Amino acid sequence: MQIKQITNEKLGETVFCAKHSSGLEIRVMPKEGYTSAYAVFGVKYGSIDTSVKNDNGEFETIPEGTAHFLEHKLFESEDLNAFERFAKTGASANAYTSFEKTAYLFKGSEKIGESLEILLDFVQNPYFTQQTVEKEQGIIGQEIRMYQDLPDWQVMFNLLKALYSTHPVRIDIAGTQESIAQIDADMLYRLYKNFYNPSNMILSVVGAIEPQEVFDIVDRCIKNSDGKAAERKFVKESPLPVQSYIEEKLSVAQKQFLLGFKEDLDEPLLSLEDEIASQVMLEAIAGKSSPLFKRLLDEELIDMGFGGEIFNGFGFSCVMLGGTSSDPEKTCEIIRAEINRCKSEGIDPAAFERAKRKFYGRYVMSYNDIDDTANLMMNLHFNGYEPFAELEVCKKLTLDKVQQRLEVIKDEASALSVIVPVE
Amino acid sequence: MPQVRMLADRVRLVSEQTSRFKTGRISVSMALPMDEKAAANSLLIFLLKRSCKQYPDFSLLNGKLDELYGAAISAGVMKIGEAQVLSLSMTCLDDRFALTEESIVEQCAQLLASMIFSPNCKNSSFGADNLAMEKRLLIQRIEEELNDKRTYAFNKCIEYMCANEAYGRDKYGTVEEIQNVKMADVYAAWKNLLSTAIFQITVVGGADADKVADIFEEKFKKIERNPVMPETVFILRGGHFNRYEETFPVNQGKLVIGFRAGMHHSRDNIFAVTVMNDIFGMGTYSKLFMNVREKLSLAYYCWSRLIASKGIVLVECGIDTDKEKKVSAEILSQLTDLRNGKTDPEVLESSKRSLKEKYTFTTPEGICSWYSSQVLQDEILTPDAMVNGVETVTMEQVCEAAKKLSIDTIYMLKAQEEEVAENAD
Repeated sequence: MQIKQITNEKLGETVFCAKHSSGLEIRVMPKEGYTSAYAVFGVKYGSIDTSVKNDNGEFETIPEGTAHFLEHKLFESEDLNAFERFAKTGASANAYTSFEKTAYLFKGSEKIGESLEILLDFVQNPYFTQQTVEKEQGIIGQEIRMYQDLPDWQVMFNLLKALYSTHPVRIDIAGTQESIAQIDADMLYRLYKNFYNPSNMILSVVGAIEPQEVFDIVDRCIKNSDGKAAERKFVKESPLPVQSYIEEKLSVAQKQFLLGFKEDLDEPLLSLEDEIASQVMLEAIAGKSSPLFKRLLDEELIDMGFGGEIFNGFGFSCVMLGGTSSDPEKTCEIIRAEINRCKSEGIDPAAFERAKRKFYGRYVMSYNDIDDTANLMMNLHFNGYEPFAELEVCKKLTLDKVQQRLEVIKDEASALSVIVPVE
Repeated sequence: MPQVRMLADRVRLVSEQTSRFKTGRISVSMALPMDEKAAANSLLIFLLKRSCKQYPDFSLLNGKLDELYGAAISAGVMKIGEAQVLSLSMTCLDDRFALTEESIVEQCAQLLASMIFSPNCKNSSFGADNLAMEKRLLIQRIEEELNDKRTYAFNKCIEYMCANEAYGRDKYGTVEEIQNVKMADVYAAWKNLLSTAIFQITVVGGADADKVADIFEEKFKKIERNPVMPETVFILRGGHFNRYEETFPVNQGKLVIGFRAGMHHSRDNIFAVTVMNDIFGMGTYSKLFMNVREKLSLAYYCWSRLIASKGIVLVECGIDTDKEKKVSAEILSQLTDLRNGKTDPEVLESSKRSLKEKYTFTTPEGICSWYSSQVLQDEILTPDAMVNGVETVTMEQVCEAAKKLSIDTIYMLKAQEEEVAENAD
């Protein structure tokens, strides 16, 4: 295995990068003074993967929520399940599924090598029966119901439904009660085989472990595979939203809103520079030190939770701003006016400098946390970037670039999602 | 081992110096008895957070924080036993990462001290507009507790269970109490805070704790201290238990069962009680996870939570409303097994290993909150001492601790029936 070291002098951190013969990418960042390590084993298979390429090279539709369902099921095996195995090393294990990936992880301070072997082993050894699949349908059914009652979650998915007509980002990560009812053991084995091969995966480890130990364990535990990285289908979305307003009644105290602006993409992915520039742009325009925030607060239209973010991934990108408000329409009118003002007058250079400094600081801070660092390295890889790329991009960011990212926000491409209290 | 020093009467600075983090964390915890002044105290802490004499406006203060490389300030209100603990905390980048020659950490400590001791206050007034805004935001915050039904149900169970104890009060005070707070009340709350609260300043990271100590010590020199130690009532057993319910238009019901843990004080038998609670319903090896979730598929989550500062344990889960009887029967049956020693010895070992991991903190925030939560303790308990204590716990002690659990209150948040019917399997 060829090992490449990437060092960031300012941070004082070094990452050891390698690609295993199986196709698996590996990132290891040893951390001095730490007694714990965190490892994440990720696969590029998330809720937006609602189709797979078959042998004829055609995309075939699969039910919604399969990536998440598999995440739950991989913890099981014929004898000891993964939780029982980790209980013997003391490591706390978990997993999560997002729009674009599934990640299995543990954090531990003793028998770290042993925990790493368990992690690699259980993810590579699927075991499902019809009975265990049915049992999981009950548990996931409760998980879906729990999320349906969460206003923050609902306001976002409703917005995505209003913005996107076909892109699977519009559906809940866990799928629906109906879609998961279609899942059976055979289907899970087939999908497992399609997505879970080393070329489609990465192992990222940070903390109290020697890089060589990680490489040795990978050599020992990873089965070679002839699988290929799974392909995603890029379907160009209409530049316009499906509907400009969407509303749902829930048991909440106050109205909640999320205003989204859909970006017209010609390529499936944004560059990291575009992504960071959008974050800085939103901070400069709508952050806590901005005139907009002050005005909305003074007019009693928002609370401290108000904020904006760029939400992007394969085939989707939108800017979202929202929070709690007594009058979402009026709030959005003011936000839109401020965006237009900044377009014509330009973003305040001082606000840009402050926002850039803040993000630079926050990026450095994120290297504190072994969890954050390991996940960050995985995400950078999945998007085609090397470790520390975000720091370099942030340092070099210009006001012109940020202004340019403001221009892609278009009124006609927006939608407003509102959660209204049930009377 | 943390360094401990006293800066004034009942003002303690606890610091753990380490260069392994890229940030520093400074947290000031201020404990007051939980009483009818809770509303004024809560408003005070949020007023202190929004500005100070030097940066007299919310936008100016936040601009300064951005310049300090995105330093973050948070204000908090929590209950520790029957004390209302106000806190102001800052996380900031360590000095070695600054792009210019400057001490970020010292500037942050100065800023934090200014916010507490030199607020933006003229003629005993924090500004009528500011107070009105903080009232609105706080009332909204309380009303929004309804949005997350899990937390809502959890708090509701405590409210019923401790209705006759100070612990049953809302940590922020009630909406009505907040509406009635006058400027003079907030000003009095500030004076009272500086004089009577039990203070702990916790510093974690590369910061020079002596410099932070000097900054705060200087401020306290001008304050006449008359500290008041908050006391907490511990009720050993639940009597005849009560069940309460409410119905909401939601998809999932929430069941919360409140137990008294039989503790006389917050560290009473703490190691055994901690392990017992962990085996009952914390880890993935726990009785509730293994049975209510994995074996019977009745819930996605079913956990037990120990609140040692009040000597209570709460079990919470999200379920189908019509399964309440089945779920509570299963929870109690698991408790019976735990009491009777029907626990695999391997689970005890798993629990000890897992707790050890839990007390191996990997972030400044984790370490800081471990120490901050001890603001009212005379003796500081280190994570290592906690691990060593847990290590000695035997299965018999776990059973004994479980036998002391007695049900006090059941709270059920029911999903409206038509919703249940629609989603029934």
